[in-house]
Amino acid sequence: MIEMHDVYKVYSNGVKALNGINTKIDQGEFVYVVGPSGAGKSTFIKLMYREEKPTHGVILINGVNVKRVRDWKIPYLRRNIGVVFQDYKLLPNMTAYENVAFAMEAVEAPKRKIRRRVQEVLELVGLYDRMNALPSQLSGGEQQRVSIARAMVNNPNFVIADEPTGNLDPENSWDIMYLLEEINSRGTTVVMATHNKEIVNTMRKRVIAVEQGVIVRDEQGGEYGYED
Amino acid sequence: MKIDTFFRHFREAVKSLARNNWMTFAAVSAVSVTLLIFGLFLVFAFNLSFMASELDKQVSIRVSLSPQITADQIDNIRSQIEQDSKVKSVEFISKEEGLQMMKQQWGDDKEFLEGLEKDNPLPDTLQIQPSNPQETEALAKDLQQSYPNYIEHVDHGEGVSDRLLNLSAWVRNMVLVFGLGLAVLAAFLISNTIKLTIFARRREIEIMRLVGASNWFIRWPFFIEGGVIGVLGAIVPVTVVLLGYNAVVGILDADKAYSFFKLLGFWDIAFKVTGLTTLLGILIGIWGSLISIRRFLRT
Ligand SMILES: Nc1ncnc2c1ncn2[C@@H]1O[C@H](COP(=O)(O)OP(=O)(O)OP(=O)(O)O)[C@@H](O)[C@H]1O
Ligand SMILES: [Mg+2]
Repeated sequence: MIEMHDVYKVYSNGVKALNGINTKIDQGEFVYVVGPSGAGKSTFIKLMYREEKPTHGVILINGVNVKRVRDWKIPYLRRNIGVVFQDYKLLPNMTAYENVAFAMEAVEAPKRKIRRRVQEVLELVGLYDRMNALPSQLSGGEQQRVSIARAMVNNPNFVIADEPTGNLDPENSWDIMYLLEEINSRGTTVVMATHNKEIVNTMRKRVIAVEQGVIVRDEQGGEYGYED
Repeated sequence: MKIDTFFRHFREAVKSLARNNWMTFAAVSAVSVTLLIFGLFLVFAFNLSFMASELDKQVSIRVSLSPQITADQIDNIRSQIEQDSKVKSVEFISKEEGLQMMKQQWGDDKEFLEGLEKDNPLPDTLQIQPSNPQETEALAKDLQQSYPNYIEHVDHGEGVSDRLLNLSAWVRNMVLVFGLGLAVLAAFLISNTIKLTIFARRREIEIMRLVGASNWFIRWPFFIEGGVIGVLGAIVPVTVVLLGYNAVVGILDADKAYSFFKLLGFWDIAFKVTGLTTLLGILIGIWGSLISIRRFLRT
């Protein structure tokens, strides 16, 4: 469960990105975060995986106040959160398999377990046959699927995505969405910032709309609501 | 740490050293120069303190006992002196033994000592080792005053060893100051090499952080990298210093003219020099990597 109580974020240059956010996301929910450019969606996402600290207010992840977590303990917090980005963030000199395995090596999983699990998630994202390809040999959609495989390989409670379909054509975008829905159906909470009107209006989920750092709308099965 | 993880870190470290080969070479060279100077100083310092302690052994007080003294009285004085805390040891040398030793020292020219056995002019003596070489003079005065009736004469060595002791302390301090300066320089160079590696791997580090790698997991390859630079940097200086020392010892051993000039044997210093030099190399390496990753891991 993710809870935000009266959360403010002021960046060091004085920009007020979030101005009093109150919300609660239960385990197993699927949430779209929408809003105009510069509204604070990415900031909202970054606070959840403690890339940024709130200037004011409390964020609880499964009851843990992330602001209070010591720097050296942040990695342990993140093991429970898979993160997906618009630009995939894959390591260019590693194969698809290695990119996914890397996330398990980093948390010192046993070698045999790594092999089994990495093959399993690559199968799930439909890239079992392409596991020895380098990112440069994969399409954008395939690269994003590798990054989703990496986000879920450690079985996190949460998968957080910042515009995961931002660089993809509609067909590939839908592949990604079906994957996220599949992950969500297994009990993982999915929070996703997006500008994709078609997806939000078709695959109906909870919608949180943010404008100028405050939540202006929060409805179950809501519409995208903007003309980008 | 798991053994798999350690091997992974080691592989990563070696890979990045190979990738940044020129920077690695520069850093290793810097460490080598530092360690070469350190190694030379080390050899000097070891030998100076060895010579000083050898000379210390020779700094003894020679108490000539008066001819009238009886054996009982000698025992008496001897046990009294032995109890003095300023005295390390007392050795009685009878006039016969004294003559014997003299003959040995004179060697070939001993003929003119022949015949002295019958009418030995030497006194019985006590050889006294002071506990603290620096207090030799005071102790000698003490003895003279304490037993005026039994002691004829008190001799003590010159302050040679004092000066040598001072010199070896001075050399030690120089090693520390100079070595520290060089170590800082080398660590700085290493930290630059490692910064380059960090720069080359910043994406990888970013992703490691995202997927929840602990700070130590991220740091280890860089530590190992620094340590490896340190060890590589020790190879040339250790080899040069030890080969050089071996040659010098060989020359001095072969040429009897220098026999008064006693150096430590090759094997007396080989392990110490290798160990200390390598250790310093590793420390400099790890220090250098610490400098460069410290800032990087702050969130
Ligand atoms: N690291 C930062 N330092 C300073 N200001 C920042 C930083 N990151 C974001 N901002 C500012 O904070 C505000 C919110 O940015 P944020 O990235 O959260 O918006 P967003 O809703 O994700 O926008 P977009 O839809 O374009 O991705 C913007 O005005 C932005 O310029
Ligand atoms: Mg954004």
